[in-house]
Amino acid sequence: MLYAAIYLTGVFIAAVSQVMLKKAAQKSYGSIVQEYLNPLVICAYALFFLTTLMTIYAYKEVPLSLGPIFEATSYIYVTAFGVLVFKEKMGKKKALALALIVLGIVVYATGV
Amino acid sequence: MRDAQNGPDMGAGAPRSGRGSTRAVVLMALHVLLFVFSLSGFFSKSAAAQPFMSVEFVALYAGMLFILAVYAVGWQQILKRLPLTVAFANKAITIVWGIVWGVLFFGETFTWQMVVGACIVIAGVVLFSIADGEDQREADGKAADS
Repeated sequence: MLYAAIYLTGVFIAAVSQVMLKKAAQKSYGSIVQEYLNPLVICAYALFFLTTLMTIYAYKEVPLSLGPIFEATSYIYVTAFGVLVFKEKMGKKKALALALIVLGIVVYATGV
Repeated sequence: MRDAQNGPDMGAGAPRSGRGSTRAVVLMALHVLLFVFSLSGFFSKSAAAQPFMSVEFVALYAGMLFILAVYAVGWQQILKRLPLTVAFANKAITIVWGIVWGVLFFGETFTWQMVVGACIVIAGVVLFSIADGEDQREADGKAADS
């Protein structure tokens, strides 16, 4: 249970790092070097490396077959950040899709 | 069917057969890439069994990072040739590979409830990609009007 929580937290942090990269991509920088070597991008990549280590730690107990299922929670975060940070809208079809993903994860995880 | 889905961005002047076969090649390349990507899980899971920062751990971790780097470069190339939503819908196949590698290499359990759960998640991911594509077209349409 603890290991599953670590995996899921890693997926969330990876989604945060994606948002940071997207935010960085929207800004304009003086040079190509600055596009990559700025605090936002460096932090995003540091977080990403952290998540790869979290995933390995979680895999001490979490079955490999469950990993890609847990990864699917990123669709929830991507949608939430899209609405909250980037002011995108969420339609009914997308809400239904997210509900299916959550339902599928629960059905799968209780069947392992 | 396929032409209606693709919309005007797929090169209206291209020969019919050429267009179809090009897309088939890109889809096949995408699935080769997703297959390679799924192996990153194999490396992560193998690294988890090794003592932290041992030679074996570092080698397996480096292997995983290498696969992620190859995947990142390949994914960008795919996105130049395929709509993002189509690429994301196909990415759901990694769930199947996860089950296959788990059972094959790590002796993990396999139940029908897992298969049902995986099918529901995959259906959700594909529906999400379809909905995202529609939202995108709507947003583009509004941007064009204003």
